[in-house]
Amino acid sequence: MSWLEAHLLTLVIFLPSAGAVLVALLPRSEGGQHKGVAFIFSLATFLASIPLWTSFHSGPARFSFEQKSEWAPSLGFSYHVGLDGVALLLFMLTALLGPIVVLSSWGYIRSRVKEYALALLLLETAMLGTFAALDLVLFYVFWEAMLIPMYLLIGVWGSERRIYAAVKFFLFTFIGSVLMLLAIFWLWSNSGAPGHRTFDYVALLEQGALPAERQKWLFLAFALAFAIKVPMWPLHTWLPDAHTEAPASGSIILAGVLLKMGTFGFIRYAMPLFPSAANQWAPAIAVLGVIGIIYGSLMCMAQTDLKRLIAYSSVAHLGFVMLGLSALTAEAVSGAVLQMVNHGISTGALFLMVGILYERTHTRELAAYGGVARVAPAMAAAFVVITLSSIGLPGTNGFVGEFLILLGTFTAKGMGSWTIGTAEFSKGITLAVLAASGVILGAVYMLWVVQRVFFGPERKAASHGMADLNLREWFTVAPLLLAIVWIGLAPQPLLDAMRRPVDEFIERVGRPQRAPPTAPGNKE
Amino acid sequence: MEVSWLHLIPLLPLAGAAVCGLLGKWLPKAWLYAIALVTVLLSFCIGLTGFLRLPEEVPIFHEVAFNWFSAGSLHVDMGFLFDRLSGALTLVVTGVGFLIHVYSVGYMDEDPGYWRYFAYLNLFIAAMLTLVLGDNLVAMFVGWEGVGLCSYLLIGFWYTDEEKAYAGRKAFVVNRIGDVGFLIGIFVLFNATGSVSFAQLGVAPLTLATASIAALCLFIGAIGKSAQLPLYVWLPDAMAGPTPVSALIHAATMVTAGVYMVARMSHLYTSAPGVLALVALVGALTALWAALIGTAQNDIKRVLAYSTVSQLGFMFIGVGVGAFFAGTMHLVTHAFFKACLFLGSGAVIHGLAGEQDLRRMGGLRKYMPQTAWTFAVATVAISGIFPISGFFSKDEILAQALHTKAYDFLTLGPGGPHLTSLGTILYLVGSFTALITSFYMWRCYFLAFEGEYRGPEGVHPHESPGIMTSPLWILAALSVLSLVIGLPEPWVRGSFLEHLNWEHFTGRLFSPPRGGPPAGFSPWPGYLVALAIGWAGFGLAWLLYAPARAASGDDRFAALFPRLRNAFANKFWVDEFYDWLVVRPLWSFARGLWRIFDATIIDGLFINGSAQLVAWVAALARRFQNGDVQRYAAVTALGVLALVYAFLLRSSP
Repeated sequence: MSWLEAHLLTLVIFLPSAGAVLVALLPRSEGGQHKGVAFIFSLATFLASIPLWTSFHSGPARFSFEQKSEWAPSLGFSYHVGLDGVALLLFMLTALLGPIVVLSSWGYIRSRVKEYALALLLLETAMLGTFAALDLVLFYVFWEAMLIPMYLLIGVWGSERRIYAAVKFFLFTFIGSVLMLLAIFWLWSNSGAPGHRTFDYVALLEQGALPAERQKWLFLAFALAFAIKVPMWPLHTWLPDAHTEAPASGSIILAGVLLKMGTFGFIRYAMPLFPSAANQWAPAIAVLGVIGIIYGSLMCMAQTDLKRLIAYSSVAHLGFVMLGLSALTAEAVSGAVLQMVNHGISTGALFLMVGILYERTHTRELAAYGGVARVAPAMAAAFVVITLSSIGLPGTNGFVGEFLILLGTFTAKGMGSWTIGTAEFSKGITLAVLAASGVILGAVYMLWVVQRVFFGPERKAASHGMADLNLREWFTVAPLLLAIVWIGLAPQPLLDAMRRPVDEFIERVGRPQRAPPTAPGNKE
Repeated sequence: MEVSWLHLIPLLPLAGAAVCGLLGKWLPKAWLYAIALVTVLLSFCIGLTGFLRLPEEVPIFHEVAFNWFSAGSLHVDMGFLFDRLSGALTLVVTGVGFLIHVYSVGYMDEDPGYWRYFAYLNLFIAAMLTLVLGDNLVAMFVGWEGVGLCSYLLIGFWYTDEEKAYAGRKAFVVNRIGDVGFLIGIFVLFNATGSVSFAQLGVAPLTLATASIAALCLFIGAIGKSAQLPLYVWLPDAMAGPTPVSALIHAATMVTAGVYMVARMSHLYTSAPGVLALVALVGALTALWAALIGTAQNDIKRVLAYSTVSQLGFMFIGVGVGAFFAGTMHLVTHAFFKACLFLGSGAVIHGLAGEQDLRRMGGLRKYMPQTAWTFAVATVAISGIFPISGFFSKDEILAQALHTKAYDFLTLGPGGPHLTSLGTILYLVGSFTALITSFYMWRCYFLAFEGEYRGPEGVHPHESPGIMTSPLWILAALSVLSLVIGLPEPWVRGSFLEHLNWEHFTGRLFSPPRGGPPAGFSPWPGYLVALAIGWAGFGLAWLLYAPARAASGDDRFAALFPRLRNAFANKFWVDEFYDWLVVRPLWSFARGLWRIFDATIIDGLFINGSAQLVAWVAALARRFQNGDVQRYAAVTALGVLALVYAFLLRSSP
């Protein structure tokens, strides 16, 4: 294994930071060089990540591109990174969105450009690192490192109520992560005799499951941190505010990547580390997921603010993902992972389009729009394609994900059943049928948006003429449109990549009784 | 037989759609037309070649184009199945589709969005072919939702009109309700059998309960797509789209998908006789319901739309009594005559500069004789007047209903009465509907083409160009010629026509209903009754709308049945009812939930409330840290005193 191969992952993770250093060294100026550096480095990051995808083999090792360097051996933490199929997909998604994000607010951000470019680049390293980390301390460092640039993105470059939204975002996420940190320390202090304790994820996983009664509180601490991030109902109210106030680039990152941190946290940490608690709580999480689907869709129908509407649609979509994860069947979990990627693409693209509209009209009010299709037909066509992906039309990526989740939930026999009176209802079937109503509601609100914004007579926002997509915007939209259709028609490479981690996840969480009862070193 | 060319049939129009959609704006018009038309024609030719070469022993071509997705135990292929049923429908879709493409060249030539139109139309053909040819339920679902998308795009084609955009959205959402039923049906079947492919589902043993639930769920999908009660309301509004689209999508092909699906799943439906009875009942009720509404509509396209809903109801009676061949046969003949009617109405609208109101037509036969003649032929067909195709296919359905044995084992609830007379009821309802059908169609014909011209001043009605009339002639000819597939089998036994006979042709494709097919019966009594009914409808129409006094016909009708006609004219207020029952409450509920629950309770009370609490506690704490050193000193002194006092208390015995 060459040096480059061994360090490729680390290089990709820190490439944006190298860009940040360069930006920091550049003089403050009015020109576009800060954004230019940010674009070049994020594009380079994406290009450098392509070999990760092409050379990824689900081989004998659980994690590919693994690299482990001691950091503080006496304390048991190390720089340990690696990717399994699930992390790889989200890693690639982040790398793909990077340059798109930089381009998205190119014309819109005019103040403090240098700091803006710095924030974007550092944020990208933090996001990539969060997916790649295999050590709990490292994970936590990257996790918290995401918070600050994102907080600044909303608070500095946002719109009118940005301070409120930024503080709310920060407090929500921070409260959750503090509990998670405590749980991480608990795990560490129980991982062995003093001096032999570890924060290493792989080592902790191999120690086997903790006693069931211990798992409960630890699981809840982890789950709360992640549930806020997803966000799961009823912890979602920071999301509409954050999205509405953030600039387009912030919204794309938030929807595209940051929300996935929550669902990724469930599939990577909360559920496999505490399998029997996860198994026990899975139906409850599934119920919250279904509530999120229906509730989020209904919220969308009530909105008058375009961005807020799309934000609530994330609540519904992530509800599908959580439902899929907690159904604990191979179909549903595969669908959930696929849907994480899909949501990043399609909702990222929706926020991109909303940003493009906002830049022209400076309004998010739905009522101000109408008839845009006549003056900007290409924009309308792109928006319709993204909408179709969002509502899961076959041929787009959204269908495969939703279909797998619903089918996998429907056939989930492990969930047991509810008894109402004398009638017995399989939880899987009931939840799948209820969740399927989200398929209808999704069409209701998204097509309503399309009609409201693009069809009908030209209203205020469109009547002064509106430029259609320009070349820069095409560069941002086109890759996402391609991804929508490509994954829709050929999702199998993605499903193949995730097969092994998904199978292991189900093996571990779906049948927790098979895990060794207590491994040595787990005693207090 | 495994082949490798089947995917070309849907792929060619898909490629055409891609080229037209992405490059159409910049292509010369002639090129665009050529691409759109030739791709469909090529699909037709491939389909025809395949159809003629179907092997005699096992008449099936099969191709797995690629593995679409697999996860867990689910394995979904993009596979295609070309048998006599899907083959025949391929020919109908591409054949009628091609004719409508030709017609559209004339109809849409002036429209600035012509390139978009042809892209959608080609995409529709591709989706419809996927629906028909898919070898498993998921592939079928791709086409199923794909045609719904094209329908949405084409209904709202003139999107600057808010009402048209709304009609498109309504169609999509109502269809989606059905689609979710379809999806759940897939889940039930996969859960029970571990497969989604027709080949395996066609032989899988299913318990009665599973089969019934799956059949019911899939039928909900059919109700949506094929516009049956209670989800038919989108179809009349779908007439907002360009008329050739109404002909192709909302009459000849897409809306028949539900009938096709039930026939394709005949094994499942015959395993669930209760659902089969429901299919027939829904069909019969819809047929009657829509026919009644159709008698009092003034928009020529709406008359045809309701007649489509009604005719689809007939097809469901056919498949619902277990006579899958009769339902699908009517599907084919209906595709010809209804496409002809719609294109005829398009020619009328075209020739009258956009006028669609029957009250402002009249006497058009003088101005557009070709349109009038072909419309008359198709009207004869749909009225079920001997000997044109509709007569045979419709009567086959009614005769099969009367003699059916599909319900012989069926009781109403455990130990309840037998449902043997259901077939007779279906027959009576169907026959009465046939009477009304003949009546409203002749009313339509008389109002449009006979009597005096009542149209708008300054409009000079004119015949359409040849590119539009030639498809009319071909479709009229097909409406007549397709009678050969409906001739009773005994009449053609031994002659070359036997191979064209639909019952014979599809013989081994469908599972027989549980009681077996009806025993041999003479077609004559049915024919005589049907003949009388067809002419009676014509006679009624003549009485009220005779050419000389057609204009006042509606008044005479209204004078006879004032209240009833009012109910028909208002479409039984179903749209208003749904609006009141579902649409408004849902939106109000959403708004209320947001304002009261999300914004006030969750975010206001809990989130901002707890933040307020923190702020309040902090404000309280701040009072103690106001920088006043004297107060600090006082508090410190008090504290020291308290401590000293506590120590004294503890140390004293």
